[in-house]
Parts: sequence; structure tokens; C-alpha cells
Amino acid sequence: MDPDRRASPSPEQTPGDHDRTFLAGTASNSQHVNRSAVALQSSYRVSEPDLIARVLAGDRIAARELYDAHSPRVFRLAFRLTGDADLAREFTQDTFVRAFGQLARFRGDSALSTWLHRITVTVVANAMRKVKRFRERETDLEDVHPINSDGPGVDPVLRERLHRAIDGLSEIYKTTLIMHDIEGYTHTEIAEVLGVAEGTCKSRLSQARAQLRAALSDLAPEFGS
Amino acid sequence: MTDERFDELMRDAKKTYRTPPTADFDAMWDSIEAAHFGGATGTTRLRERPRGSRLPAMQWMGIAATLVVGIGIGRLSLRLEHAAPAAPPVTAMGPAGSADRIDTTMARPYEIETSQYLGQTAALLVSLPTETRTADPQFAMRAADLLTRTRLLMDSPAANDPAMRSLLDDLELVLMQVVRLQGSGSRTDLDLINRALEQRDVIPRLRTAAAATSAN
Repeated sequence: MDPDRRASPSPEQTPGDHDRTFLAGTASNSQHVNRSAVALQSSYRVSEPDLIARVLAGDRIAARELYDAHSPRVFRLAFRLTGDADLAREFTQDTFVRAFGQLARFRGDSALSTWLHRITVTVVANAMRKVKRFRERETDLEDVHPINSDGPGVDPVLRERLHRAIDGLSEIYKTTLIMHDIEGYTHTEIAEVLGVAEGTCKSRLSQARAQLRAALSDLAPEFGS
Repeated sequence: MTDERFDELMRDAKKTYRTPPTADFDAMWDSIEAAHFGGATGTTRLRERPRGSRLPAMQWMGIAATLVVGIGIGRLSLRLEHAAPAAPPVTAMGPAGSADRIDTTMARPYEIETSQYLGQTAALLVSLPTETRTADPQFAMRAADLLTRTRLLMDSPAANDPAMRSLLDDLELVLMQVVRLQGSGSRTDLDLINRALEQRDVIPRLRTAAAATSAN
């Protein structure tokens, strides 16, 4: 497997997430901003720093632009980390509310997307500790995640076992594995988001994979060798 | 061979492990917009008002009547105080400028009502159920009653003090969630309530305020 491939854009991801330019409209702080309003008023491109400056000045349209550019990836990450659509929605909202509230503190040392994903991971990690307390009381049936059957060729039992094994990883390994192997972040990106060295990130991924192999070894003995 | 099979399994996981569903990003934006920018355009999940009244009309009328009588007594007592020689106000505040302290220099009827309200609210929140499925229906009714009293107090002189006002705002938010909890029965909602209580430091502030008002 390519150890450090570039993140591939998801179907929901907008091009603006990569080139860091955004469609922007005129400020209209007195009215509700929806997608159509943005589309109607969007007429030229501005850089991300300009957009941030406008959000800081209270521009709702600019805030919506930032949200549109980044929310699909934030939601995807939140869902992959939680496996719960309601929680993912909740954490996506929390991420953006926090991000807009703390935007003045964003210095631009990293990409805005990296900063947002760092907030997402923090929000999810903090909240999931509490959510887990409730989940522990639930029955096994409620723990089963629906499996997308798209992907013939893989033994369904092995697939289910792998999913369980990923669920069972400790938080630092799971986050690293999901971000790298499932969501396609690079080690550099993960290191920035998690605030660790790249080497640490690679080591965690290696550990996570080793644990998964061990967990599957009874079904696929070669994984244990 | 081993690596190839494992890689194949991980590639499969990329497609099958927690596949993100479609999401209503416009609805999420409404909540974010309302929470960050405020205004009446959207509603956050936390600040969403419960649909419809959960109190019978007679109970509403009783509460309204109590408030009217309370305001009348309050105004009368204020007039009497103005007619009498001025005395320095008694407060429970510590050092000047301490924003967390509650100024309890309110008219006596409000003081009594506020004291009772704070005590009952503290009792309710401390006994918050840990499991939604075992929630007592009476619990939601008590919460609805306290929510109503919160809003009445927010419109009364009791809320003139900024710290008390802030506390009432937070209590309104929490009580709204408690009321909704009975309808939704959601663990997430219960978790949100606990989170709100912790983040806003509600219980300690509530106890401090209750102690301050009952000491007068």
C-alpha cells in the first residue's frame, strides 16, 4: 500500500477545499444565508485569507462560503470517527460554531482545512468519551453497524471482523488508521491535525495495522505471521 | 501475498467501513448560523423551543396570576421603601466587580420566588436520570413547570442582576433540553444536557445563587 498517498477528493468534496479559493458574494448580514442566496450572489473568487477576514467582520455570506467548502469533509471525518449520523451532524455543527468563534486565533500557520479537522478530531474525541459511557449499556445488537455490501470479493465474515477490530482499536490508533487508510489523509496532514510528529503518526499506523492483523489471524492465519 | 490480501481488505474497508450517509448541510448551517451569528433566522438544536405548551391552560393562568400578584406586591413594597428613610441595600455580594456573584437586592416577593425556584431547579437537575428509558414522566412535567418559571423570572426584576440573568439564560437552555428529553428519549440529548451543565458550570452557580438568596 502506498504509505503516504495524497488525499483523494471525495464525491462530496468541493474543489475549493483543495485550491483554497472560494466563490464569494457580497455581505448581507441581515438575512438568512442559504445555498441559493450564495449561488445568486457569488460572482468572483477571493482568497481564503480574505474570506476569513470577512467572516471576522461578521459577513454571513463569507461564513457560508467557508462552510460549504469544508463541511463535507468535516462531516465525513466526524462520521468515520463516530459511525453515527446524528452525532456526526452534531459534531460538524460544533466544529463550525467553535471554528467561527475562534477564527480570530487562526494564524494561518497551517491550512484552514487542517485547523478545522483538528477541531473536529478534538470535538469528537471529547464528546465520544461521554457517549461511550451510554453506549456501554446498550445491547450487542445496537452495536452492529450496517455494512455496505458494495465490494464483492471480500469474505463478508472477514470484513465484519475487520470492522469490529477497527472499532476496537484505542482512540489514537483508530483515529490515525481511519484518517490515513479510510479517509486518505497523508501522514503530514495527520501529524498537523493531531499535533504529533510524522514519525509518531507512521508508528501509530503501523501499530494499528499490526493489531488488526492479529485480530484477524484466526480467520486468516497468514495475517498473524 | 499476505500484504496483498490485507491491503485488499483495507481497500474494501475504505468503501464499506462506516460509509458516510448523505447529510442535510443546509439544516446544519441553519444551526451554526443561529449559534454563531444569533438572530431569528435559524434555530440551534440546543436553543430550539419545545413545540407547543406542555402545561394545561389552567396552570398557565395560575402562574400568570401569581406573577401579577407578585408584581403588585413588589411595586407596593417598593413604594413603601421609598416613603421610608433610605437604608443601604443589603447584598450578598463579595468584592465589588465580582461578576459571578448574585446581587440579591431584589424585592422580597421576587426574592422568595427566586429562592424557591433555584432550590427546586437544583433538586431537579441533580436528580437528572442517567438512563433515558427509565425517565419519569413527572420529571419532564416538573422541568416544564420550572422552564415556565424561568422565563417569567427572566422578565422580572430578579433578572436585573447580570449574573442572575446569565444563570437564568443557562437554566432556560438546560430545562428546554430536559423537557425535550421526555419526548425524544435520546441518549444524545441526555449527553448534551450533561455537557451543557458541565461546560456552563450550571450546578455550582445554581447552588451559590440559591445559598445567596436563601440567606437573605
